[in-house]
Amino acid sequence: MSTDVRDAHRGGAVSAVRTTTLTKRYGDVVAVDDVTLSVEPGQIYALLGLNGAGKTTLIRMLLGMIAPTGGAAAVLGAHVSGGDRSAWPRVGYLVEAPAAYPELTVRENLKIVARLRRLPSGTVDDVVDRLALRPYTDRRARALSMGNLQRLALAKALIHTPDLLILDEPVNGLDPAGVVEIRTLLAELAREHGVTVFLSSHLLAEVARLATRIGIIHRGRLLQELDAAGLEAHLRRWLTVSTRDDAAARAVLAAAGFTPQREGPITLTDTRAIERPDEVAALLVEAGCPPVRLLVEEEDLETYFLRVVGAGDA
Amino acid sequence: MREALWAELLKVRRSRLPALTAAAFTLATGVCGLFMFILADPGRARTLGMLGDKAQLTGASADWPGYLALLAQAVAVGGLLIYGMTAVWLFGREFSDRTAKDLLALPTSRTAVVAAKFTALAGWSLLLALQVIALGLLIGALLGLPGASVPVLAAGAGRILLVAALTCALTTPFALAASAGRGYLAAVGTLFAALFAAQVIAALGYGASFPWSVPGLLASIAGPGQDAPGPVGYLLVAVVGGAGTLATAIWWQRADHTR
Repeated sequence: MSTDVRDAHRGGAVSAVRTTTLTKRYGDVVAVDDVTLSVEPGQIYALLGLNGAGKTTLIRMLLGMIAPTGGAAAVLGAHVSGGDRSAWPRVGYLVEAPAAYPELTVRENLKIVARLRRLPSGTVDDVVDRLALRPYTDRRARALSMGNLQRLALAKALIHTPDLLILDEPVNGLDPAGVVEIRTLLAELAREHGVTVFLSSHLLAEVARLATRIGIIHRGRLLQELDAAGLEAHLRRWLTVSTRDDAAARAVLAAAGFTPQREGPITLTDTRAIERPDEVAALLVEAGCPPVRLLVEEEDLETYFLRVVGAGDA
Repeated sequence: MREALWAELLKVRRSRLPALTAAAFTLATGVCGLFMFILADPGRARTLGMLGDKAQLTGASADWPGYLALLAQAVAVGGLLIYGMTAVWLFGREFSDRTAKDLLALPTSRTAVVAAKFTALAGWSLLLALQVIALGLLIGALLGLPGASVPVLAAGAGRILLVAALTCALTTPFALAASAGRGYLAAVGTLFAALFAAQVIAALGYGASFPWSVPGLLASIAGPGQDAPGPVGYLLVAVVGGAGTLATAIWWQRADHTR
């Protein structure tokens, strides 16, 4: 990448990742369908989708491993193609399951990456310490646990302190402590070093904790993009009411302008009911059917995700 | 390419490949020496039963030219198998171990990675051929074979090196098969098909027109009645070697890497 492009990126003028109507077809199967997205420098963008949604194909296209059938992708301002390597010195990546040369030690696996990235030898020790791999440096990769293999893969992605990290399911295989550790590390890289993180995941709760922006992909299509901070505003909320005479309570609420659901327990989705449940309680007490249970409930992330995906299917 | 070659050599050094291939060629050289030992004394060969008969079937004579020709034949047949397996391992292991994806988006180009693998293949093939020559000279000297002279030894060693170079060039399509087949299976199948076809076509007398038979013809594997390969044969080997190398590099550069 030219110095101008690099400076422009650092200045925030160039998107870290940009795709324009990116499409990949395998015969009649559309793996990625007309995806246009943009990731700004310093963002942690999470691509959320079920297995087979097209996350890995999209990531492979961003890394020049798969040629798109249509559209284009640019990484750190450089057009992605098999022959253009200008962005790769500043990009770290992990695609699908972690892999390493089994007969080589952790240190030797990292040395290979360091040499291929033309880095000074000290970088191996630095990344070993950052990823807590010190106790395993002389252990052959074939003897590593799945979690430590994932750490090694992340170390390979981070060894050159990249400006952009492209990570496919980065916390797969890690134990809960490892998940927290990697989440903290990625958040710190983004917050303190301005590193852009583009990751894919099917773990909604994890994504909600880490990402600053979320894209939901399903059957190759980008269904929705939203800021993680505003995620709560997208979640459905409702007021659940239980009384000793639900039929009478329904009639009272309807007469007061609310719209209780006709079947099952009384639920109100009116904004007024959700924001002022005390008014509902007072109304029911005055009408002689006091509530025995009054609860404002919120849709969880899984339900929200499945609702969005379901709408996409429809 | 220097970085990629360093990486390939480290991978080769840490693998079982050097020990296994060196052991295979040591065994081949030793077996050739055993044939010479048997042929040197026909009475002793008869007492060895079937092994003695088979030694006679090679048509070799128990002297330095015969021994060096037998070694060249071993390199022609064994080399296609061993160099071929080396090529298959160098490329196929990246898919079998799922490490290929880690080589695709780096400052080091994919072409450099492919070139480093072929360089490692050529270098190791050369070392194995030199091992055959050195060990062959030692065994021949221990057996006290007659007919030693500098021109005979130099011509024999030169023929072994040329056979090794031709054989090595013919393994490049197996690298392509290992890459496009994303693993060992397709490449091993291609290797055995080439090996089988080379023997059959050479035996039928059309070896000069089939590249994989050319090293065997150069080593006189089909018997003294066979013509040595002509310029067309050498040209075909060069075309196969070049096309295999180029096609592998293009495949790594342009194919969809889904594994």
